[in-house]
Amino acid sequence: MIERIKVTFLGYNKEIYIEKGKSIMSAALSCGIHLNSVCAGEGICGKCKIKLRRGEVDIQNSDAISTQDLKYGFSLACLTYPRTNVVVEIPKSSRIEPVLRQEIYSKAKTIKQVDFKSQKCDFSYLPVVKKIYLELPKPSLIDNINDLDRVLRELSKYVDINNIKISLNNSRNLSNVLRKSDWKITLTIGEYNETYEILNIEQADTSSSNFGFAFDIGTTTISGELIDLKTQKVLGAKLTYNKQASFGADVITRIVHAKNAQGLERLHKAVIEGINEIIENLISEFNIDINDVTCLTCAGNTTMIHLLMRIDPSFIRREPYIPAITFLSAIKAHEIGIQISTHGLLYIIAGISSYLGGDITSGILASGIYKEQNPCLLIDIGTNGEIILGNKEFLIGCAASAGPAFEGSGVTSGMKATRGAIEKVKIDKNLNITLQTIDNVKPIGICGSGYINLIAEMLKAKILDKNGKISIVKNKRVKKTKVGLEFKIEKNIVITEADIDNIKRSKAAIYAAIITLLEHMQLNFDSIDKIFIAGGFGNYIDIEQAITIGLLPDIDRNKFIFIGNSSLNGAKQAILSNTAFKKTREIAKQATYFELSTDSKYMNEYTAALFFPHTDKKRFQTINI
Amino acid sequence: MIFETIIGSIKVGGESVLPFLIQEGKVPNKPVIAFEVWDMPPYDFPQSLSEPFGNALNNPLDWALKCVNDYGAKLLCIKLQSINPDTLDKNSKEAVKFINNLIKAVDVPLIIQGSGNKEKDNLVLPEIASIAKGKKYLIGSATQDNYKILAKTCIDNNHSIIAESPIDINIAKQLNILLSDAGVEPSRIVINPTVGSLGYGLEYAYSIMERARLAALAGDTMLAQSFICFAGQEAWRAKEAKAKMSEMPAWGDEKKRGLLWEIITAISFLQSGADILVMRHPKAIKAVENYLNDLLP
Amino acid sequence: MGLSGLDIYKLLPKTNCRECGYSNCLAFALAIAKKAVSIDKCPHISKDVKQKLLEAVLPAMKLIEIGINDRKSLTGQETVLFRHEEKFHNPCLLGYILDDNLNEEEFDKRLLDISNIKFERVGEIIKLDLIALRNKSNNSEKFKNCIKKIALLSNLNIVIITDNLQILKESIDIIKSNNALIYFTKDLTDTNVLDLLKKYNPPIVISADRLEEFDNIIPKLIDIGLNNLVLETKSKNVQNKLWDLTQIRRLALKKKNRAFGFPQLVTVKKDDDFSGVMQAATFITKYANVILLENFGLEDIFALLTLRQNIYSDPQKPLQVEPKAYAIGQVTDNSPVLVTTNFSLTYYTVLSEVEASKIPSYIAAINTEGMSVLTAWAAEKFTPESITKGINDYAIKDKVKHNKIIIPGYVANMNKHLEDLSKTKVIVGPKEASGIPSLLKSLYK
Repeated sequence: MIERIKVTFLGYNKEIYIEKGKSIMSAALSCGIHLNSVCAGEGICGKCKIKLRRGEVDIQNSDAISTQDLKYGFSLACLTYPRTNVVVEIPKSSRIEPVLRQEIYSKAKTIKQVDFKSQKCDFSYLPVVKKIYLELPKPSLIDNINDLDRVLRELSKYVDINNIKISLNNSRNLSNVLRKSDWKITLTIGEYNETYEILNIEQADTSSSNFGFAFDIGTTTISGELIDLKTQKVLGAKLTYNKQASFGADVITRIVHAKNAQGLERLHKAVIEGINEIIENLISEFNIDINDVTCLTCAGNTTMIHLLMRIDPSFIRREPYIPAITFLSAIKAHEIGIQISTHGLLYIIAGISSYLGGDITSGILASGIYKEQNPCLLIDIGTNGEIILGNKEFLIGCAASAGPAFEGSGVTSGMKATRGAIEKVKIDKNLNITLQTIDNVKPIGICGSGYINLIAEMLKAKILDKNGKISIVKNKRVKKTKVGLEFKIEKNIVITEADIDNIKRSKAAIYAAIITLLEHMQLNFDSIDKIFIAGGFGNYIDIEQAITIGLLPDIDRNKFIFIGNSSLNGAKQAILSNTAFKKTREIAKQATYFELSTDSKYMNEYTAALFFPHTDKKRFQTINI
Repeated sequence: MIFETIIGSIKVGGESVLPFLIQEGKVPNKPVIAFEVWDMPPYDFPQSLSEPFGNALNNPLDWALKCVNDYGAKLLCIKLQSINPDTLDKNSKEAVKFINNLIKAVDVPLIIQGSGNKEKDNLVLPEIASIAKGKKYLIGSATQDNYKILAKTCIDNNHSIIAESPIDINIAKQLNILLSDAGVEPSRIVINPTVGSLGYGLEYAYSIMERARLAALAGDTMLAQSFICFAGQEAWRAKEAKAKMSEMPAWGDEKKRGLLWEIITAISFLQSGADILVMRHPKAIKAVENYLNDLLP
Repeated sequence: MGLSGLDIYKLLPKTNCRECGYSNCLAFALAIAKKAVSIDKCPHISKDVKQKLLEAVLPAMKLIEIGINDRKSLTGQETVLFRHEEKFHNPCLLGYILDDNLNEEEFDKRLLDISNIKFERVGEIIKLDLIALRNKSNNSEKFKNCIKKIALLSNLNIVIITDNLQILKESIDIIKSNNALIYFTKDLTDTNVLDLLKKYNPPIVISADRLEEFDNIIPKLIDIGLNNLVLETKSKNVQNKLWDLTQIRRLALKKKNRAFGFPQLVTVKKDDDFSGVMQAATFITKYANVILLENFGLEDIFALLTLRQNIYSDPQKPLQVEPKAYAIGQVTDNSPVLVTTNFSLTYYTVLSEVEASKIPSYIAAINTEGMSVLTAWAAEKFTPESITKGINDYAIKDKVKHNKIIIPGYVANMNKHLEDLSKTKVIVGPKEASGIPSLLKSLYK
C-alpha cells in the first residue's frame, strides 16, 4: 500500500494527503495553493521558497537556494519531499495572491486620455446576449398557432427568427411557463454567427437583470469587469494574477508544461480558477444572482485562449508557428467550468495569429486605430509587447518578447501597480530620493511605471552610465553583491544592475519592434499620427520618462494617447454590441502578422536599443542624459 | 570623415572616403601594419611562423629588435600575455621592466595590448601607461563592462585607447559613447571590431566595419574612428594556416597556405576599412605593404 | 524605381481572397516588394497594374547564364553595393585560364587537375566554376577539340578567349551548344562580329577603355538584340580597376543606368609574388562577377574560394557550423563536454572562451538549423530530444568516460528531462559564454 502523508499549510486552513515521493509543490497545487515559479517546478528559479514548521523532509540539492536559507528552515517547495506529516508555512514572497482593486482607473497623468464613452457611440447598443420581454396575445380558437410559433411571431419584431433554435429542455418547459406567467415572459437570446438561440425562458419581465463579464486573460494577470448589460454600466472590476504562473512565467514555458501528463489540464484549471474567483467576488459584492449572468467575452493572447479552451497549444511554439484556432463560436460557459448561469455563453475575441491574439484584436477595436485616416501605432505593453501599425486601409502587427519586467515581475523589488507600489521617483543633485506610491502608503515595491521613473532619474543623476551600469561606487546606497552592484531605494527595496539589464532588454525589445515594423512598411514617425499606449502599467505612465529611457520614441508628445487596458475595453465593447463583436472578427481577418524573429533587421535594432536612451543619439534629440 | 589618431610619430585614419577610393576624396594616411610581439615566448606558433624569427622568439626583446632591425617594423604591437594568470601570471613590476627596456631599445611607437584578464589588466596597464606618459601610445583594450580604469589612465597619461567590441556595431558605438562620456576625446579612440579569420566568420566583422564606415562618412562621429584589426593572430589560429601538408594533403603546401591565410585576411579588412593591421609573418607583412603601395601610390 | 509594400498594396484589388497563398493582400504586397513571390499569383489583378508592378521590380543588373542545363553558372542580378544591405546573390564566378596550344597530354592533365579542385567547408563543396579556354593555337580544329574535351571531361562551364574572328566563326556552333561566354579580345563592334553573334545572342564580354564608351556601345548592342553582356574595363593597375568596378556597380544600382546593368569581368595573372592573389581577393570583395585566373596555385585557389564563400554568405541567414563534436585542444577521455547550438556565432563565441580557458574540451554543436540557444529553445530545436540525439550521434559516450555534459544556463530548466533522456549527468553552465572559463576551471582543477 502506498504510504500517505499529511501536509498542512499554515495560514491557509488547508491540509492534504499525498503519496510519499510527491513534493510540497505538488501538494500545494493539489489543494489549490499556487506558488510562485518561473521554472515550472524544476528547482532552478528559487521562487517557491517555503518554511518547514513541523515534520521531516528530504531536500534535493539546488544552487537556487542559499545555505543560509536552508539553515533557517527554508527550502524550495518543488525540491522538498515530506518524509513524515508536515506543517509548512508559505512566505509572502512565494505566494501568488489575488490583487483586488476597486475599479479600473485610468488616471493617465501628463498625457491625453481616450474618452471611452464617446467611443462607444461607434457601435449601436445590442448586447451579445439580450433579454427580451414579450407580452403575448393569448391563444384563442381563431388565433390558434402553437406556443413556440406564438413566441416567435412576437420575437420577430426584435430578431431574425429564420435562424433561431431552442433546446429540447426549453421547449419542454415552454407551455407551462407561458401559462404560469400569464403570457408575459422574458427570453434570453444568444447569438452565434447570425444564428440565435433561445437560451432561457423566464416568467414576467426580468429584462433589467442581465449581466455579463468582460475579461482580459493575460499571461501574468487576469482582469475582469462586471457589466450591467441593460444600463451599459461597469459595476465593478477586479484583477488577479494568472495562477498559471506556477507553471512558468512566459507562454513558451507554459506550452512546454502543457506537454507533461496533466499539464494541459492543470493550466486549463488554473486559468478557469482565476476567472471564477473574479466572478464570484464581483457578484457577491454587487449582490447579483448567478443566473442573471448570461454571458462573458474573453480577450487573451492565442496561447491563453488555447489553454482556456483546453486545446493543445504545442504547435504555436514550433515553426511555422501555427495555432489550432484563433476563433471559436460562442460556447456554453459552464462546459469549461466557468461559473455563470448554466445557459450563459462564452464569447472569444478572435485572434490574428499565434503571437497576435484576441487581446490585440480587442485593443485595435478599443483604440479605434482601424478607422484612422493616417497611419497610427498601437503599443500594448505586457509580457509580450505587441505593436500594431495601421489605419482604415491596412493593419499589420508584430510581437516582441519583452518579458514581464514592466508588469513588475522578474525584478528584485518588482510588484503590480497596486497599493504601496512606488510609481514615481525624483532624485535631486545630492542624490536625495523622493518617492510617491500608489494610495500614498508606505512603499512595498516598485511597479512598471515606477521602474521607468527610477531608471530615468538615475540616468539623469548620473548614477548610471548609458549602458545601465551603476557608475558611482562610494555611496552608502550602493552595495556590491556576487552578481554586481545594487542601489538601495528604501529599506528592503533595491534596484540591481541585473534589474536594470532586465528593464533595458524589455524596453529594447519593444522599441526595436516599433522601428522594425515601421521600416518593414517603409514608414517613419513623421507619417504617424497617433501612438496609442495600452496595457501593463496599470494606471499611469510618464511619457517623458519613458522616452528618457528609450522605451518610447522621442517625438511630439501630443501624439501619445494612453488607453489603459485596451484588451479589456475591447472585450467590454464587444459584450455590449454585437456589431463591435463582429468587427473584431473582421479586424482579425484583415490584420497581417509580421514575424520579427525572421527579420534580420530586428536583432540589429534590438542591440542598438540596448542602451539609454539609444545608441543612435539622433533619434532622441530632446533627451539629455 | 574619420578622426586622425596619433600613435607616437605615426598618424592613422583621417580618410574621407571608403577604402582606397582616392578618386573621390582624401586618404591622408596609409593604413599601417604593426608587428605583433609578445612579452613571452609564443606558445601556439606553427613552425612556418616561428621560422623567420628563429631563436629571437625566446627573448621578447630580441623578437622586437628583429622586427625593427631585420624586417623594418615601424610600429610594434606588444601583447602582455605573460601577466595573465593562465600563463606566467607575472606581476606589474616585471611588465613595467620589460616595457621600459623595450622603450630604450627600439625607436618605434608601441601599441600595448593587455592580456584579456580584466582584473590583471586593470592593475598592470595603468602602471605601464604612466611610465610611457606622453609617448602617445595606443593602449588596449577597453570593453563595455570594463572601460573606466583604462579610460582614466589613458587620459591622464596622454595615450590613445583601443575600444574592443564583440563583432557588434551597436556595442562598438555604445562603447565609444561611454568612453566619450568618461572624457576620452573621440580622436583618441581606435575601434577593435574583433575580426575573425578567413574562413572563420571574417564576413561578420567585414560587414560591421563597412556599416560603421558608411555611418561615419555620413556624419556619425561615434563611429568615425580608425579600426585596428588583429589579422595575424586570427589567421594563424585557423587550421588552414597551421595544418601540415602531411595531415591535409588536399590543401597543398602549409608554408604557402599560412602566409596566404594571413595575407587574404588582412586584405579583406583593408577593403572594409582597417587603418591598423596587427600581423605576424614578415613575408605576409611585406606583401601587404606592397599592396598598400599599389593602392595608395 | 522600387515600390514599397504599401505602394503595391494600394494597387492590389484588396479582395483578401487568399488565392495567392498569403493570408491577405497586404501580406502578398509585402512579399512582392521583397521579390519573394511573382505578381502572377494574384488572379484578380488588372493588366495595367501588373505591367506597372513588373517594371517596378525589374532587376537593375541583368542575370547572365553561362553553360547549359542544370550545371549552368549564373552571375549578376546583384542588388546592393554592400552585403549587409541585403546580400550578394550570385557568387563571383572563378575561372581558370587554359591555353589550347598545350600538347594534348599536358592539356588533359591540367584540365582534370583544374576540374578536380574542390574543398569542403562548413558542409559546402567549394570549387571553381569556369575554364577559360584561350585560343593561342590559331587552329580552329584544335580549338574546337579542346572545347569538346572540356565539355566532355569537366563539369566546369566554358569561357572562350580569342582574337581571331575566323576561328570564332568556325567554332560558333560548339560554343553555342555549350552556351560558353565569348571573350573576343579584338573589336567586338566590328559589323562582321556583330552579324555573327546577333543571331544567337550568346553571353559575351564587352571591353572598353573608359566608362563613357559603354554608354555609347551598349544601347546599340541591346538594340540589335545582344543583351547577354559582361563588362570589362581595360584599366591596368589594381587601383584603377577597383575604381572602375566600383563606379560601374554604382551606376547600375544607384543610378539605374541600364547601360551598366550587367555583371563585370576581370582577369588576373599571378607573378612570382602575392600581388596576383591579393588583386583577385580585392576583386572578390569589390564588385567583380567573373574573375579569370592565370597561373594560380592550389593554395591560392583554396584561399580565394574560401574568401568568396565568406563574402557571398547570406548575412541575413545565420551561418551554421557542421553539427558535430569538436575537439578543442589535446582532449582526453576526461575532457569536459559543452553542449551548444550550431549557429556559427554562438559556436565561435563558445569556442573562443573554451580556448581562453586553456582546458581541452569537446564542444557538441547540436543541429538547431543555425539558431541561437534561446531562439532554438523557443522553436523546439534545442530540446532534450535533439541534444540526446546529438550526444548519441557524435558518440560522446565513447569519447569521454565521465558521462557529464554542460548545457547553457538559458536552458537550465530542461536539466532533469535531459538527464533522464540522455542518461548523462547534466551540469548547468553559465548563461553567457564569458562565464565558461571560470566554470571549466572550477570543474577541472
